[in-house]
Amino acid sequence: MLEIRSARKTFYKGQPDEKIALDDLSLTLQTGEFGVVIGSNGAGKSTMLNAVSGAMPLDRGQILINGDDVTNTPVHKRAMRIARVFQDPMLGTAASMTVAENMLLAELRSKSRTFACGLNAKRLSDYKERLSILGLGLENRLDTRVELLSGGQRQSLSLIMAVGGSPDLLLLDEHTAALDPRTADLVMGATVRAVDALKLTTLMVTHNMQHAVDYGHRVIMLDAGKVKLEIGGEEKADVTVAKLIDHFSVKSDAMLLGA
Amino acid sequence: MMEFLSSTFTSYVALVPVTLAQSLILAFVVMGIMIPFRTLHFPDLTSEGAYPLGGCVAGVLIAAGVNPALAIVAALLCGFAAGCCTALIHLRFRIHTLLAGILMMTMLYSINLRIMGKSNLSIFGTGSVFDWAPFVTPGFPAAKIIIAGIIGAAVFVALNWFFKTEKGTAMRAVGANPAMAEAQGISVWVSTIGGVGLASAFSATSGALMVQSQGFADVNMGLGILINGLAALMIGEAIVGKHSVFRQLLAPFVGAIIYYQLVSLCLAAGMPPPDLKLATGLFVLAMLALPSLKRGRGGAPAREKFRE
Repeated sequence: MLEIRSARKTFYKGQPDEKIALDDLSLTLQTGEFGVVIGSNGAGKSTMLNAVSGAMPLDRGQILINGDDVTNTPVHKRAMRIARVFQDPMLGTAASMTVAENMLLAELRSKSRTFACGLNAKRLSDYKERLSILGLGLENRLDTRVELLSGGQRQSLSLIMAVGGSPDLLLLDEHTAALDPRTADLVMGATVRAVDALKLTTLMVTHNMQHAVDYGHRVIMLDAGKVKLEIGGEEKADVTVAKLIDHFSVKSDAMLLGA
Repeated sequence: MMEFLSSTFTSYVALVPVTLAQSLILAFVVMGIMIPFRTLHFPDLTSEGAYPLGGCVAGVLIAAGVNPALAIVAALLCGFAAGCCTALIHLRFRIHTLLAGILMMTMLYSINLRIMGKSNLSIFGTGSVFDWAPFVTPGFPAAKIIIAGIIGAAVFVALNWFFKTEKGTAMRAVGANPAMAEAQGISVWVSTIGGVGLASAFSATSGALMVQSQGFADVNMGLGILINGLAALMIGEAIVGKHSVFRQLLAPFVGAIIYYQLVSLCLAAGMPPPDLKLATGLFVLAMLALPSLKRGRGGAPAREKFRE
């Protein structure tokens, strides 16, 4: 379970271009719930995700994961509980290391690292099996450096790395935005299958309204650092792209044109 | 012409053992340069100060009658501390790694002078670790080659093992992608401080061995060591490659051996020693410029590509 309690974050405080990125934002995500976050640019989506992951400290407010206050826990300690897939395929993997080594790093996310040999036979066969689910042939390229993979393959690898070990919370930061439509569908399909199978508590940020309609248990719309609208349960089933876009303020109609 | 070639060749061959011993000792500095540059993506200049630091510490201790092996351990620990300081300056104050290294090596110069109390110190005639070489007469290059070779082989095997363990893989990840490493639960601070510390420990070890080999310590012994080490590293990487842990670790040794033989050849051919630094600098420049020259006349790529 994820709880964000009146989170506040102000950029350029006291300067003329002061900007309130999170305005006492509160949000609760039940265990096993899949929340989809939408909102125009500058609504605070990324700031919220960075606050949850620990990459950006809050001015005020609390972040709780499964009831534990992690507000002041650094990124690498929060990683015990949180897995994240970045928007940029380059960010989520170590380019100069091999597929297998990246898988190893992800496996050790929630464990303490020892002086034992990292890549043993048991792990390698386990990685082969987990990667074969994607159907991209990555299982035969365990020794390939990740920089030689395509963006879609890297992002798929990031996803497999993130869902392994069943994290308490999965953060997806527009993770299909940088991919071509076909690859984006492939990665999205793999995401939904993994989230369903493992019943992961998931927070996904997206600009793709169709994804917001099709996937997840609840749509959360942010505007000016606050939750403007939540659609869950029965209502979520009836929602359409047009209805969602109606909720955007005039200011962000540019998004409609883009969609 | 034939006479020139034959005299050059004769004097070069006569120098081969001495040069080999020297290059095996200096291979540790090259290792101390490679680890921050390649494994941690932390361009580091501390070695220019850590190498004489190791030499001064070992020199003073040996002159005071301390066991030469113990003197090396002490030098190693001092080097480790110096490296940790450089990493800490960068991490805590967000100062560029190169500037942090320059600060550290400048401060180390004074510290080295303080440690020795004078600018140079002779330990000629006292014992050294090279006296313990089996099968050979102490004092000859063969003894140095054997001892430095054994330590080098041990370091190579140990590092080749370490960088494949869970902890070692995590350290490499910090160099490859710090944001990703942090998101995977790896402390960037611990890995960077530990890694740069380890590297400077190697540089200091090299200084300690060199002092025992040449019989004196000098505060200026580190002058230009970094550029020599870089040149050696680049030669090594050009020969054995750098795309696996094994090859990347082998490169400093291969590079050091070949680089110092090339230097010896140049000197044997009558190149004035003062020109050596210019030649080395031009060589490193050429190696660094090669990829850009191959790419064509485009000039420097966008600045964003530069990674701290």
